[in-house]
Order: sequence, then structure tokens, then C-alpha cells
Amino acid sequence: MFLERLVNQAGSPVLEQMLSFTAARHKLILENLANVGAPGYRQKDLDLKKFQGMLRERVEHLDQAGSGSTGFEDISAAVEHPTRGFLFHDGTNISMEQLEGDMAKNGMMHNMVIELLRKQYAQMDMALKERVG
Amino acid sequence: MFDSLDISSSALTAQRTRLDTIAANIANANTTRDASGKPNPYRRRFAVFASGQPDDHKAPGVHVDQIRMDETAFRKVSLPGHPDADKDGNVLFPNIEPAIESVNALDASRAYEANVTAMEVTKSMLNASLRLIA
Repeated sequence: MFLERLVNQAGSPVLEQMLSFTAARHKLILENLANVGAPGYRQKDLDLKKFQGMLRERVEHLDQAGSGSTGFEDISAAVEHPTRGFLFHDGTNISMEQLEGDMAKNGMMHNMVIELLRKQYAQMDMALKERVG
Repeated sequence: MFDSLDISSSALTAQRTRLDTIAANIANANTTRDASGKPNPYRRRFAVFASGQPDDHKAPGVHVDQIRMDETAFRKVSLPGHPDADKDGNVLFPNIEPAIESVNALDASRAYEANVTAMEVTKSMLNASLRLIA
């Protein structure tokens, strides 16, 4: 019970979901980038704003209902086919610049979440050592 | 996340194949005979990409689906005295425009570089993730 509260209270589940999201989105960005010359390829993406909205809603629900009553495992973003950019004559709508930007932002977000998780794990480690000691 | 590297490497392979095709076109821009030495101009080739890994088309990635022949007409150049000239003194040259091939080569090269950068980003994300357990 103590361990469950320790792990769930600090926001680690939210960060873990975010990590799954950035990893999945990175794969889609790479797939889009790889298919730059493939005729008829429709680019794929995950909606960051929608995903963050779902997480925010769940966190608010968690705050109201109390710790440990709501999980985050069921939150996931669906693959979409964004229609941004120009539609080229070969049926593709991929913008290299947009993809490079998305990749950089997503990579930085991934690394930031990792750092936050590392900090939380370090704090947990410290708390556990204090208790044992 | 390790399979993310497979996506980029499939793109590198595809773009390199495309670049090889372009290089063969440029090299044969003035080839008027086939391998057996008969008058038969070299026909321009181009790579057609399709999504999916080369060995598993349902897995994310890209592969070269076909190397197709460009069926546009050959260039007819008046060169009387050329060993391959017809009775009017015209020689058929390959349907290759070096300027177009150069632009395509630049495009393939930039796409290759973009995928190398993508691999670097993947490696940095993987290293960051591995630091969590190290």
C-alpha cells in the first residue's frame, strides 16, 4: 500500500503514459520521413493536444477522487491522417520541414520526460533509503 | 523503440537504391548501344517506392517496389558519320536529361541525410531511456 501510494502519487504514471506517447509518435514521424518518395502515402500522426487533454482530465478526476482510484493505462492516442500541407501530384502531403520540426520537438519532450522520471525515481530511492536507514 | 531504427534504415536503403539508379542514368546519358554492342539506346530507369519494410510490407518503413523504365521517346540528334546514325544521319540517344537527374540526385541525397538525422534523434532518445535503468 505504501509503495503503491509512493509510486502513484508523484505523477509517475502520467510521465510513463507521456513516454509511451512520445515513443509511438516518434515511430510515426520516422515512417512519414521514410515514405517521402512513396506515391500515394498518407502521413500519420498522433494528436498531442488531444492526448494532453485526456491526461489533464484524468489528473483532475484523480485530484477529486483521491489517490489510487484512477489509472492511466487506458489513455492512448489514436493514429490520425492529418491533412496539413500541400497535396502533391503523387498523392502525398508530406512536408519535410514540418516533420523535422515535429521530430525535434517530440525528441526533446521525450528527453524531458525521462529527466523528470529520473528525478522522481531518485526521490523515491532517497525516501526508501531514509525509511530503511 | 528499437525497431524505430529499422524504419530509418529501410529509408536509407531505398534512397541509396534510388541514387544508384540516378547514377546509372547519368553514366549512360550518351550510351547508344546495348551490352551486346547493337545500336539500342539506354532507356532511363527510375525507382518506385512503396510503404512497408522490404521483407514485411505491413511493418512500418519503405522499400523499392519496382525499378521502372521511362517509356518517353529517345532524343534524335543529327550526327552524320556517327557509326549508329540512320540513313538520314540521325542518332538516337537515351531519354536522359542530366539536369533532371542532378535535381533528383540532390533530392535523394537530402532525403538520405534527413533519415540519418532521424536515426541520430532515435539514438539520443534511446540513450536517454537507457539512462533510466542504468
